[in-house]
Amino acid sequence: MSTQLKLSEVETYIGQYHILQGVSFEVREGEVTVLLGRNGAGKTTTLRTIMGLNPPSKGEVIYKGEVIQGLPTYTVAQKGIGYVPEDQGIFSGLTVEENMKVAMKNNDDATKERLDWILELFPDLKKFWKKQGGLLSGGQKQMLSIARAYINENDLLLIDEPSKGLAPIVVEKVMETILQMKEKTTIVLVEQNFMMASTIGDKFYIIDDGKTVSEGSMNLLKEDEEMRRKYLGIA
Amino acid sequence: MNNRMNILYVITAVFLLVLPFVYESRTLLILLTQVFIFAIFAMSYDILLGYTGIVSFGHAMFFGIGAYTIGVFMKQFEPTIPYFLLAVLVTIVLTAIVSFVLGLLTLRLKSHFYAMLTLAFSGLFLVLAEKWRTVTYGNDGFTFRIPDLFKDRTDFYLICLVTMIVVFAILRRFTSSPLGRVLQAIRENEQRTESLGYSILHYKVIASVISGVMAGLAGLLYSMSLRFVNTSVFTMDITLDALLMTIIGGVGTLVGAIIGAGLIEFAHHWLTELAKVHWIFERWIIFFGIIYILAVMFFPMGIVGTLKKIKLNRTKKEEKKAEEKIAS
Amino acid sequence: MDVLINLSLNGLATGMLIFLLAAGLTLIFGLMDVLNFAHGGLFAWGAYSGTWIYATTGSFLIAIAGAILTGLILGLLTERWIIKPVYGNHVQQILITLGLMLVLSELLKVVWGPNQISASPPSYLAGSWELGNVIIIKYRVFIIAVGILVFGLVQYILKNTKIGLIVRAGVMDKEMVQALGINIQKVFMLVFMIGAGMAALGGAMLGPYSGVIYAEMGLEFAILAFIVVVIGGMGSFPGSILAAILVGVSGSFMAYYVPSLSLAVNMLLMAVVLIFRPQGLFGLKG
Repeated sequence: MSTQLKLSEVETYIGQYHILQGVSFEVREGEVTVLLGRNGAGKTTTLRTIMGLNPPSKGEVIYKGEVIQGLPTYTVAQKGIGYVPEDQGIFSGLTVEENMKVAMKNNDDATKERLDWILELFPDLKKFWKKQGGLLSGGQKQMLSIARAYINENDLLLIDEPSKGLAPIVVEKVMETILQMKEKTTIVLVEQNFMMASTIGDKFYIIDDGKTVSEGSMNLLKEDEEMRRKYLGIA
Repeated sequence: MNNRMNILYVITAVFLLVLPFVYESRTLLILLTQVFIFAIFAMSYDILLGYTGIVSFGHAMFFGIGAYTIGVFMKQFEPTIPYFLLAVLVTIVLTAIVSFVLGLLTLRLKSHFYAMLTLAFSGLFLVLAEKWRTVTYGNDGFTFRIPDLFKDRTDFYLICLVTMIVVFAILRRFTSSPLGRVLQAIRENEQRTESLGYSILHYKVIASVISGVMAGLAGLLYSMSLRFVNTSVFTMDITLDALLMTIIGGVGTLVGAIIGAGLIEFAHHWLTELAKVHWIFERWIIFFGIIYILAVMFFPMGIVGTLKKIKLNRTKKEEKKAEEKIAS
Repeated sequence: MDVLINLSLNGLATGMLIFLLAAGLTLIFGLMDVLNFAHGGLFAWGAYSGTWIYATTGSFLIAIAGAILTGLILGLLTERWIIKPVYGNHVQQILITLGLMLVLSELLKVVWGPNQISASPPSYLAGSWELGNVIIIKYRVFIIAVGILVFGLVQYILKNTKIGLIVRAGVMDKEMVQALGINIQKVFMLVFMIGAGMAALGGAMLGPYSGVIYAEMGLEFAILAFIVVVIGGMGSFPGSILAAILVGVSGSFMAYYVPSLSLAVNMLLMAVVLIFRPQGLFGLKG
């Protein structure tokens, strides 16, 4: 399996704040890589930095062998990276259909096929196809956001805390779908919910105070109670 | 450094105070009087733009209220000191009410609203001045007499100079007072200031009122210096003057506003002279407009701000050098 | 009765002209968060270029087209050179667009002289129809028709095309639009140009309606357009036409019955909206 995305010693400022102070990790094709860490450790900023929403001041971001830091966000997205932000980024005044349409680059058969597949995965979206995005429930918004990121032939999805604010039963549903999408695309997942992270993740990186401090296979972390307590505050 | 600046201020003030007694030039005297008046006006604008981060496009409105109030009192009643004092009082009350209401209406909203509303309201005052002919004599305006005390040009020069110095001192005190510090905190980061428990609206309205009243007093002095007032005091040009003076001089510095007032007034004078040479200089607003756009784009800190930054960088560099020396 | 009809038509026509100015303002504000104080300057440029082209070519259609083209070009240059360098800084944007407004209207005086210029409609739009004892001025009907047409067209684009969808999405969340692979800068440019084009069209139609054009009318109409944008709601396109009609009609009636208060009434309307519904009657954001 080849490396799809690689960050080396990335540093990012937001205003005067030095948020990322050296984040490095590798994402291999077909895997789910999970970024873990406390609140405010810099996980969301890491994803935003990859997308070019908060460009880094130092370090390198390489996607499929190509340097992408400093590129405008839309170019990064066009290279095949789908983004599901923490707040889902649903266009609240647009219908579910329109939300999907904004994202759809083409209207060819391949896109339609993907749309069919994803609507089968999220029957709710089909049901509320003409409903305004802002009126959906939290879980439905999350699904719409994931569907929107997936609709173009993206090879990499960045998903920021999909379980946030959702009821446990909905979390399970979201988890299931991510597991299914894993078959088709590479995923970087930011997650606080360790149950979810450990179920779908292949590899983990821990970010603490803006730096990657630890990495390994997910199975390793499941057994290492000490490390979990130290960086994640959970046992 | 602060001490050195203070000495510089005192020297400049003394120089300006003795100037009319050693160098006799009526033109220069009148021009400098205008500079002092507009310096007060520009400083009042700086309280809004520079110290609180509020953009007003209707500052001419307050200026005009002051200008017309004194005119109307001197014309309709008598040019005596009691009526003069009454006019000052009425100017303060009127400008305070107008700026209070406008501030209350729009300062809780995005910054665009204040800019827009002040622009619209100053338009309203312009129309009012044009239409209320019985009092304002319409577009042409009217001349009036002023109390004897102010008739001598040199005396009036000194009065304006002293007023400017007093306003400068008061506003400097004000901006370094706890209240002024809160205003600057609002300019830097509104949300954070609010989360510290300050009522943003409250402070912004205070800034709006202080600024409005000061501008009104500047307008009052302005029409007294001309002994004439017409609708031009309500026009966009007046607001543009305030904008140019504060921005070119340097926002948030007060001294910058004074320097800016000097530069712009002299430029005005110079361009008017040039208009005799070539008609293009009659359209001097174009030059000001272009300079203004370039200043906002490339020179947003103005003269004083840029000087301060250079100085700061130099001290930093020196400190670094000193550190390196110690380290080696 | 005929007075009422005429005042209404007059108000509607004025309202449509304000709408053409306000529509661009509100769209640009909604999408780009830029309140363009130079918009009135673009309007005035539309008026001058339209009148000049009409006088030169003798064709009203070419004049209208030329005015729109002037607007599009000025819009492009403005966005590129004036707005783009200061994106994201509200105070700078507000300050700089006002500067441009003054430069634009002073430039008009340099090119066409400082005096008023008279303008008249082409023969086929001059004159009036008589319906019973009601006299309807043709040119007013023409303005109203064009206004409705423009509104319909823009509304159709916003609702039914991909670019319209992107604009609406951009009003809600710019970052996300970009994260979906769309170059929002291009969309900004396009919307700015279209807004400028509409303003220029409005200006070009104003000339023959009011009979004279002058450089300051840009600012005068811009103030009305600001009132409309506040009443209609910043960023609301349908709000802009409804509020424009409201302001136009109330202005027309007041000008007839209590002329000295006509501007004041609109101000009052705006103040009331600001107190009770600062997001505007049809607005989404504060």
